[in-house]
Amino acid sequence: MNSNKPTAYNNRLGIKGWVYAGRYTFERYLYLGHRVSGLGLIAYMVLHIIETANRMRGVEAWQGLMALFASWPFKIIEYLLFAMAVFHAMNGVRLLVTELGFFLGKPREPVYPYSTSIKRHRPLTFVIMGLAAMIIILGGSSLFFP
Amino acid sequence: MRETRLWSLHILVLPIIAVLLGMHFAVMHYAPVFYGMSVDKAREFSTMIERGKSVTQLVLYILLLAAALYHGLYGLRGIIRELPLTPVLVKVVDAGIITFGLFIFAFGTYVTWWTFSYKIGG
Ligand code: HEM
Repeated sequence: MNSNKPTAYNNRLGIKGWVYAGRYTFERYLYLGHRVSGLGLIAYMVLHIIETANRMRGVEAWQGLMALFASWPFKIIEYLLFAMAVFHAMNGVRLLVTELGFFLGKPREPVYPYSTSIKRHRPLTFVIMGLAAMIIILGGSSLFFP
Repeated sequence: MRETRLWSLHILVLPIIAVLLGMHFAVMHYAPVFYGMSVDKAREFSTMIERGKSVTQLVLYILLLAAALYHGLYGLRGIIRELPLTPVLVKVVDAGIITFGLFIFAFGTYVTWWTFSYKIGG
């Protein structure tokens, strides 16, 4: 499958590239977080659709499931899910802004000390991540202290 | 062109997910904050059935189902496609993801419809 014969697919980094593909910066960690949270959300969504179908087995089955979800381990899982969704959504907004070409600054001559578009974009990154952290903390307070 | 369209849809469904997932969280997880109702009450069978009888909720849930499944599964497809796959395997992955997505969408829609058409007391 991954032979040395040159094919259109040979230049991809594969699983190694998912985990480590070069010098890591803050944005690189955000990329990993975005990927892990995206996969977590889609996995949860599928389980959630199956698990809430339990309603079709009647009132008792449903109430039993809800009692399980009211227990502490599930409250923590629910909070992690919320945190993942907030992080993914906020970082997603940052990615969209970048992909649409905003907050990257104008292209410049590469004169030392270099100013890359990532560096010019970084203040916005910090603001968005700060907001995400605030929402995650506030969301936790109402989940744990209703 | 086809890939551009698929990617654009992956992005265009985001406002739908942001609004509807936000509403879903507000109703199911943050009812005390937004509706002055305890989480336990919001998740009771009778409350769930009562909510599910609304046509608006029926439509919005099916929309959220479609939008989030499309966005999530398209994202998963992109991740799998970073692996060094042969063209045949790429097709197998595509077919697998489409089949799985349609199955889960049909199942979720059926459960939502079941709630909508549930007869209270019989
Ligand atoms: C308001 C909510 C959301 C926003 C703003 C958002 C935004 C984004 C963006 C911008 C991307 C990258 C697209 C690209 O550049 O090609 C992405 C990828 C992804 N999203 Fe979301 N998303 C949201 C909700 C969700 C949900 C609910 C799921 C799961 C059901 C999900 C699963 C994924 C996955 C699996 C990826 C691929 C990650 C990767 O390639 O590393 N997202 N999202």
